[in-house]
Amino acid sequence: MSLLRFDTVSKRYAGGHEALTDVSFAVEPGEMLFVTGHSGAGKSTLLKLIHLSERPSHGAVLMEERNLARLHTRGVALQRRRVGVVFQDHRLLMDRSVYENVAMPLVIAGTPRGEIALRVRLVLHKVGLSERERALPKELSTGEQQRVGIARAVVAQPPLLVADEPTGNLDPQLAIDIMELFAAMPAYGTTVLVASHDLPLVKRMRKRVLVLDHGKLVDDISATELAP
Amino acid sequence: MNADTQKATGTDHKSREAAVRRKRGGPIARIRSWFDLHLYSLVSSIGRMAQKPLATTLTVGVMAIAIVLPLALWMTLANVQRFSGNVAASREISVFLKTGIDVPHANAIADTLRRRDDVASVVVRTPEEGLAEFRRSSDLAAQIDALGENPLPSVLIVQPRDDGAALAISLQALPDAEIVQHDAVWRDRLSAWLQFGARIAWVLAVLLGVGALLVVGNTVRLDIQSRAEEIAVMQLLGATNGFVRRPFLYLGAIYGVAAGTLALALLLLAARVLQPALATLIASYGSHFALDGPGPVGVAAVLAGALAIGWLGAWLATGHHLRRSRPNGD
Repeated sequence: MSLLRFDTVSKRYAGGHEALTDVSFAVEPGEMLFVTGHSGAGKSTLLKLIHLSERPSHGAVLMEERNLARLHTRGVALQRRRVGVVFQDHRLLMDRSVYENVAMPLVIAGTPRGEIALRVRLVLHKVGLSERERALPKELSTGEQQRVGIARAVVAQPPLLVADEPTGNLDPQLAIDIMELFAAMPAYGTTVLVASHDLPLVKRMRKRVLVLDHGKLVDDISATELAP
Repeated sequence: MNADTQKATGTDHKSREAAVRRKRGGPIARIRSWFDLHLYSLVSSIGRMAQKPLATTLTVGVMAIAIVLPLALWMTLANVQRFSGNVAASREISVFLKTGIDVPHANAIADTLRRRDDVASVVVRTPEEGLAEFRRSSDLAAQIDALGENPLPSVLIVQPRDDGAALAISLQALPDAEIVQHDAVWRDRLSAWLQFGARIAWVLAVLLGVGALLVVGNTVRLDIQSRAEEIAVMQLLGATNGFVRRPFLYLGAIYGVAAGTLALALLLLAARVLQPALATLIASYGSHFALDGPGPVGVAAVLAGALAIGWLGAWLATGHHLRRSRPNGD
């Protein structure tokens, strides 16, 4: 069973702009893949359909064969807990410490305090921020803020992680570091889908790539095709 | 990848994961986590209030005024009702006899009345007794003395066994009676005024209650607006409507309880300020009277009502925001 499946999905916004047209693909558990394309190709819309910020105008987005369009208010919230999201602009809570930001998904899920402490310290260790848990986001560098965002996205061990241009504001070496962090996630059971327009970086990672152009899926390149 | 990250070996990861699994608990852990969620919401609400002391003070102050106005009217009416109840309980009928009827004749009429089944007692107040009482309770003694003779008639104070309405009518038919005055008439009028006052208090309570609701709703709405980004992030992380709403509900409830407490304090302060002047006024009528407060049940009702207004205002404001933040296309 696929973890995620798009079945002839189209998305037309209120103004009439069609961001996605008949997009179909499937993602298997433990996979890492990229969605790429020029600006306005529909990458962000595709991610928004996965984390339920938008609903498809046509077709179905299915996670473990469950149609996400059928979820109502509480179902949407519970589904979002199963999808970790990393934003280009991090979207951290600036008046909360690194620890509190990373702990937020667990607090929301009603995880016991002791378990929150263990999970947060574990994931901060994974992203190399063990020493900064008391710091406020404004005291961190851009790269560190992005790693806090990644830690927050994976702390609840969601089966799927989506990232929207996670390296957009980072220098090349930091971007590689962040991508390698993502590449390590499938080993912990998390499927990773990254939207990026940084083609050299995407090619360097040698993972499956979906190519969008004007809202249409024009290519689905497997990792083996990108192998040297 | 940096060195710290590279230290995260597989063995290290597995041992930490095992520790996490051991920490998972059964029903007690779930109850504790439910308690933690509410504690988190309560602490967030108090934090929000502490961050904006001026806005908090203004909101609580306006709410308290909205609560104290109908409450003060109710308390006044309750005290007037109690006072008028004491006076009217006698249900006396005063029969003013014609001038010229002497005291033995008045006593004879009183004896006749005492034999009636609907009469509990009759007291004869002679013109001399009436004049003496008049001297005590008014400043007109000198003017009365100037008249040379006592102009007051004998008065029969009749205490009826029932409400006295029928007795008062029959006493008016007495040939020696000049005027028959029945307290029930003014008591009925007072009762009608008190009922009218109670209605006004209810209307005021509803209007000002709605006002208090809007004040809390608007304060919470502004708070939600200033935290819209934070709420959006929480929703993307899987926060349910209940999770988003809960801190604001606590916030509204705290506003309500604080406003209710302030309203009660203002009411007690007003009662304390008015009590000496009222005592002096009542004493001038040869009586004594102390203002009654709302009592423990009244205090609890005021606090519960204020809490409900705050909670409802916050619920409406958050509900409006949550409806607008549904996924696009819903």
